[in-house]
Amino acid sequence: MNSLERIKAAIALDPVDRTPAVPQLFGHAATLAGVALGDYLRDGGLLARCQIEALKHYGHDVVFAFMDLSVETEAVGSILQYRENQYPDVASYVLTPDGDLSALTMPDPARAGRMPELLRAAGILRRELGDTVLVAGCVAGPMTLATQLLGIETALYLAADDPERFEKILDFAAAVAIRYGTAQIAAGVHLPVIFDPAASSAVVPPQFFRELLLPRLKRVFAAFSQAGALAGWLNIAGPTEAILPYYPEAGADIANFDYYVAPDRAQQLLPHTCLDGNIKSLSFVDAAPEEVGAAASRLVAAFAGRGGFLLSSGCEIPPEAKPENIAAMVAACRGDEACRS
Amino acid sequence: MINSEMNKLVETLLQGDHAGALAEAKRLRAAGVAPERIVTEGMEAAMSRLDDKCTVESFNLLEIMLVGRAVSAVANELYPEGMPPEQGRATFVIATLEGDVHDLGKNITRMVLIGKGYRVVDLGKDCPVENLVNAAQREQADAVLVSGLISPVIAQVRKVRPALAERGLGGIKVVAGGAALKQSSAEALNVDYVAETAFDGARYLDELMRRRHE
Repeated sequence: MNSLERIKAAIALDPVDRTPAVPQLFGHAATLAGVALGDYLRDGGLLARCQIEALKHYGHDVVFAFMDLSVETEAVGSILQYRENQYPDVASYVLTPDGDLSALTMPDPARAGRMPELLRAAGILRRELGDTVLVAGCVAGPMTLATQLLGIETALYLAADDPERFEKILDFAAAVAIRYGTAQIAAGVHLPVIFDPAASSAVVPPQFFRELLLPRLKRVFAAFSQAGALAGWLNIAGPTEAILPYYPEAGADIANFDYYVAPDRAQQLLPHTCLDGNIKSLSFVDAAPEEVGAAASRLVAAFAGRGGFLLSSGCEIPPEAKPENIAAMVAACRGDEACRS
Repeated sequence: MINSEMNKLVETLLQGDHAGALAEAKRLRAAGVAPERIVTEGMEAAMSRLDDKCTVESFNLLEIMLVGRAVSAVANELYPEGMPPEQGRATFVIATLEGDVHDLGKNITRMVLIGKGYRVVDLGKDCPVENLVNAAQREQADAVLVSGLISPVIAQVRKVRPALAERGLGGIKVVAGGAALKQSSAEALNVDYVAETAFDGARYLDELMRRRHE
């Protein structure tokens, strides 16, 4: 099996030759290559080269055409502050609580902000890797983009004080996700992951997720499916036990779970959905490789009976992670292969 | 009569209705109720009930922010110049350290602590360790609180205790919290306590202050 075939089998809960290794390696690929993160995040060619180098180094099963969760808000008009070795922050939000919503314009992925560079990265990755490895794109989910358009505190207060207006912003954010994600599919990604950390139950109550976010996620996944996405992949970090059962209804075929949710509980909640998770992100920075390897092996064993599992971290592996810790995680999948053969 | 008015304030606070809570607090003041009593029987009672409700499994920022906003509105009405040191049970200095500009967790912790009647000096985000230590000295802080969403800030967190000790402030407790920091341990971060949530941190500080007064 090649990496893509392995992941496809895991999504279908079919047998695999080994558990796929899907570390959430984004900015770490720049660090590994000795490239400034600020350059990696603005140059699609560089991003693609670093992702391919990381793939060769670790031998995992996925590459990510992903910059950061500020790409969309920048494309809509927010001003970012870039730093050399950190992800950018929004210095000035495009929307104010009572600003004119009709002034928001849909970004053209071929021209707006860094979107064209990301599409370039997607195209290079797919051309270079073809159908051997999963090429994943990424979009900000509707709730996360809403918080990036307004600032998170302003967005949350607006959601409570003027729900009607907030829903309009969510609709706009969902439309941006569709436009940007379908452009990524056209550029070559097998699927765009929807990252929506602000939809986590740590931020909004489960009822808010069900009533306001689920319908919009459904809309975005349906559009991706129609545009030819291989599968729907929803990534929400944090404590998500209360909302995981709604993921299949949203259209997610792959559900990320963070370290807050135990693997057996995730399997109970989503018996027919491929899961990815859930090693603590910080352990890649401060734990010993043996500890990460042991955590990875426990996870592989926890899913041995059921399958439908992609070994991953619960959230992004920080750029400054120790390479030997990522290697230890991937090695747990190789150990799995040895056991199966 | 006053008790039922006070209950109304607690309920309004818990509903996150800041305008309603402000009106209730003004009514209580007009009826001659002392600000101290509104803090202890109104704000603290509301925070305590919210604390009971917010377990680690059901803790969401939106709900807490709404109650926090209502509590802050009442605190501002009672003490427009900020809570005086003699009124607050203790003083805490809080900051998001240099290299991290995500300050929502810090803001929520500040609101929770104000709601519990503490005096909180907020140094904002992207704050150098030196500024934190200066403020701790100037304000005679009982504890300093640092919040971090992203892992690169850990290096700054580890510097806080030695920097305090260098100024002879080694007795000041250091509490850390936030998405990145809570994945670590007190030992690894070189702090006294790592809070799982804002309420968890507040409970640690309550206990610390209780022991000091014994």
